[in-house]
Amino acid sequence: MVNLRIYRVQSYETTFAVTIEPRSKRAFCAKVKSEIIECICDDPGEISTWAIRHREVKVHARARSLGSNRIEIWVGGLPFLFTVTPMGIEDIQSTQSRAGEDSGDIHASMPGRITSILVKSGEEVSVGSPLVVLEAMKMQNEIVSHKSGHVTSIRVKEGATVRKDDLLVQIR
Amino acid sequence: MSAVSIKLLIANRGEIALRIIRTCRKLGIFTVLVCSEVDQNSLPVRYADEIFLLAGVMPSETYLNGPKVIKSAKESGCDGIHPGYGFLSEDASFAEACEASDLVFVGPTSESIAKLENKLTARQTMHEAGVPIIPGSDRPLRNEDDAVEVASTIGFPVIIKAAYGGGGRGMRIARSKEEARRFYRLTRMEAISSFGRGEMYVEKQLASPRHVEIQALAEKRGHVVILGERECSIQRRHQKLLEEAPSIGINDATRSALADATRRGLEASEYTNAGTVEFLVDNSGKYYFLEVNKRVQVEHLVTELTTGIDIIEEQLAIAFESQMNISQNEIKVRGWAINCRINAEDPRRQFTPSPGQIIHYHAPSGPGIRVDSALYSGYTVPEYYDSLIVKLAAYGRDRKDSIRRMRGALGELEIVGIPTTIPLHQLIMSEQQFNAGKFDTTYLEILGPRLDETLATLEENAAAIAAASQAMGMWSMKPRMHRSNWKHVVSHRRGW
Repeated sequence: MVNLRIYRVQSYETTFAVTIEPRSKRAFCAKVKSEIIECICDDPGEISTWAIRHREVKVHARARSLGSNRIEIWVGGLPFLFTVTPMGIEDIQSTQSRAGEDSGDIHASMPGRITSILVKSGEEVSVGSPLVVLEAMKMQNEIVSHKSGHVTSIRVKEGATVRKDDLLVQIR
Repeated sequence: MSAVSIKLLIANRGEIALRIIRTCRKLGIFTVLVCSEVDQNSLPVRYADEIFLLAGVMPSETYLNGPKVIKSAKESGCDGIHPGYGFLSEDASFAEACEASDLVFVGPTSESIAKLENKLTARQTMHEAGVPIIPGSDRPLRNEDDAVEVASTIGFPVIIKAAYGGGGRGMRIARSKEEARRFYRLTRMEAISSFGRGEMYVEKQLASPRHVEIQALAEKRGHVVILGERECSIQRRHQKLLEEAPSIGINDATRSALADATRRGLEASEYTNAGTVEFLVDNSGKYYFLEVNKRVQVEHLVTELTTGIDIIEEQLAIAFESQMNISQNEIKVRGWAINCRINAEDPRRQFTPSPGQIIHYHAPSGPGIRVDSALYSGYTVPEYYDSLIVKLAAYGRDRKDSIRRMRGALGELEIVGIPTTIPLHQLIMSEQQFNAGKFDTTYLEILGPRLDETLATLEENAAAIAAASQAMGMWSMKPRMHRSNWKHVVSHRRGW
């Protein structure tokens, strides 16, 4: 099911109606004044990093949330300050993304190296069970389950380097 | 050069201080950097071997204060002073004070600077050396009536110029008698306050000329080496924004005529060290002397890219050993280089300066890319000095290649925190006339409406990201339960 949302994006002088079609968790297709602009988030965070493709040109940008729907975007060496308001939903959210809400996907909470895997496939785990140890900034961090169930798949090997938000373990 | 025992004071700041330090490191020269109170956290301060803090922040109390700079050099036991560009670099009395204090001034002699410092006498010197000069007055203007009379004789439009002006300041275009009168008064007042001298003259304003300059190195024995030309026509209010080497606007005949004129002019003024002779070239290839830049120039890097010569190294060799390392037959101009001056100026607010803190900085790199900058993430661009923050240069096998590399590099360059002139350069790199090489010093005036379009497009891009971030916040962040994951993370320090 197509999943479109429309936002009112306001600057001091201009108001845009931006239609967003998500392509994946971090990739979006935006339509502004009949121009198609692809937006990919490389790194979510306090200041998120974006790559955009518009008329065959790839540009990098950064976004910083200023609270209460206000956001500052830096692109092409200039700051743009906007207030973003959701205007409506063209389609109901896809079942897929709703299922994600209580999914048992365990992601890396920080970039680092997997030093040990503490569970086996099929093993029963409960909330708080340690799953893997992730070493980051010389700290050993136990990544624990936030869900009870069975380990259905382990997506990393010991010694592997992971990025923030990489999928580590799935629990169903 | 055997530079091991040299200790050099650098009387400058920002990217050019860093640029000089880099060559000194290469040569094993010990560096002492003077630094104002506001520059204590700057990158060149970290790179220099020794720091000499000057009380105050204003140029007049610090980098422009000759006596303080000389005192610092003497106290730290320096052998010489490199003035960089701007500040004290073309000040004959400062060069003279260096000579009197037994310090090597890395630049021409005070006599040679004095000869060229006054643009009116420089015109005379060039004229006598057989270098064509722009039609205009051959003596200082007596008063505003005199200005009107000379202007009427040579024909409007004219440029009213301060004899001691420079760097694009102290000049105004007058299109009528009334304007000649008004601008004479205005420019003269400005000249007195900023250059301390009020001598004025008039030159004919050429129709749509190109600004082409020749980079030269000169040795004490009257030996001049030409490093080729630079095309600097793209200017905003007589301030260069973008430079290229070589120039697409001149043919080989003009090229060698300019080189010969440069040689004659520098020999006539007994010039030594690195220098640039600026010319205006009209569309028929006729050229006129404009001025001599008696320093290393901001745009020297495009010449370094196309010749492979380290101009700072040659400056030091000439200053300390009276001899450069190279001869004319070794100089081969190869490929094409473009430099974009990225300034802390807001293109949406008529390019008003935009000092402030850099939240994030990422410099491009890759084949043919050179970045001369003293920026870093967290650095605060001070409000007291020049707005130039990054020199981004792209070298390619030809002009097209160089432009393509520049486009890519501008896309990679990230400066978050203060508005910059990046969008203007992005526009120029994609603009048809520039790509076709069809432009002159009036180029930027015709670019105005296009710049508005570019800024509008950028705002659309920004709006797209604003909406996408909001969408990501709703769909992606929540289901992933970052916070709950963190809550259960148990951290303990591994002993090591």
